[in-house]
Amino acid sequence: MIQLHNVSKSYANYQVIKSISLAIHKGEIFGIIGASGAGKSTLLRLMNLLEVPGTGEIEVDGRNLTSLSYKDLRKARQSIGMIFQHFNLVANKTVYENVLVSLELARFPRRERRSRVIECLQFVGLESIMEKYPAQLSGGQKQRVAIARAIANNPQVLLCDEPTSSLDPKTTAEILHVLEDVNKRLGVTIVIVSHEMEVIKSICNRVTVIEDGEIYDTVAIEPKGIQQINNTSKRLVEQLKKDGELDHA
Amino acid sequence: MPEILIQYRMEIWQSIGQTFVMVGISILAAIIIGLPVGTLLFLTRKGKMLENPFVFSTLNLIVNIIRSFPFLLLVVFLIPFTRIIIGTAIGTAAATVPLSIIAIAHYSRLVEQSLLEVPKGVIEAAISMGASVKEVIFKFLYVEARSGLVLGLTTSIISFISYSTIMGVVGGGGIGDFAIRYGYQQFKTDLMIYMIIIMVVFVQLIQFTGTAVAKVIDKR
Repeated sequence: MIQLHNVSKSYANYQVIKSISLAIHKGEIFGIIGASGAGKSTLLRLMNLLEVPGTGEIEVDGRNLTSLSYKDLRKARQSIGMIFQHFNLVANKTVYENVLVSLELARFPRRERRSRVIECLQFVGLESIMEKYPAQLSGGQKQRVAIARAIANNPQVLLCDEPTSSLDPKTTAEILHVLEDVNKRLGVTIVIVSHEMEVIKSICNRVTVIEDGEIYDTVAIEPKGIQQINNTSKRLVEQLKKDGELDHA
Repeated sequence: MPEILIQYRMEIWQSIGQTFVMVGISILAAIIIGLPVGTLLFLTRKGKMLENPFVFSTLNLIVNIIRSFPFLLLVVFLIPFTRIIIGTAIGTAAATVPLSIIAIAHYSRLVEQSLLEVPKGVIEAAISMGASVKEVIFKFLYVEARSGLVLGLTTSIISFISYSTIMGVVGGGGIGDFAIRYGYQQFKTDLMIYMIIIMVVFVQLIQFTGTAVAKVIDKR
């Protein structure tokens, strides 16, 4: 589904990505993990040409993005969804309008837009708050709006840049469930960049470890499932006590 | 109603009308030309969608030069240009030329600043959804920056009123000119004070409206 051939990327004199080749298969959930500054986000952003590679070719769903005209690239991007760590919703648009804009950009048939937006919001469980503005939502809800927006045009691929890194553990589990749903029910190929091992291990089929702009290793794993996170106060105290006795302060 | 205001009511209404024409045309120039120029200043910056050092530094230089002129000097300096455009350098219509030019320079800078406050991530999201430059501008940038654009325009309009008061030098008229000619030069201090009050009321109204509108449309 996604093929990178000898892709490299430099900023000024610093080479962030050093000739990486990578193949991501249709229908899988592919993880990219690595230390801060290893180049994992840049690698992801190359997959929809948010970052233009210095050398190499990037192929998504049979189209060579690097050789497309500007117009065709925009068209190709409409079938590559993307979500971000900080959600990047338009704060002055309602939940409904945030999803709608994605359909407008893709020239989705006007009459079917409303029902499609509602369908996507139902998929992420937010149809009841579609008139609210992002400022009124929790982080988890914002990320779900972003997912609804990203899947509105039935993309083949969903790129996730640290999708749960600004969320608490319980909300992280919720978002991972939604992403799993997007993969299983809609058949969307997912690429997740994260520095959180738990996130990667819970839903990915294959994982690439990036170090200093190079692939350190790629391994196939058995996703161990999303852990239900118990965050009651009682549980929090228990966890604190686990590392030795606790004095009541 | 004070006697003096009734006595000069025709002149006062006429002056208010002249101020409205001068400020109104300046506002139009600010929106029709200043907004696109400001947007271009933003888009041609380093790292932005239409990055273009030549266009950016040229526009930036022109805007800076216009804004560094003492306004009175700009009016005089532009007289030959005004004559080409309007056919005369004297009168209210002629006065709108330098006013519009400063209006464009003034508002474009404020537009650029408002757009710079739009989170980079929002623009990235737009590009990742396949938005064209035009769509990024109208469906994302202006939507997200709209309260800043309104507040900037409010600030600009108040400056235009202030600039318009000196257009008496080219016979542009207006309340400021009236206050100077009748209030100051003819020693009718009370008349001058009334004119100042009228302008204070205008400015208050504009600021109040601008702030209220900006607040209502800001959902961030």
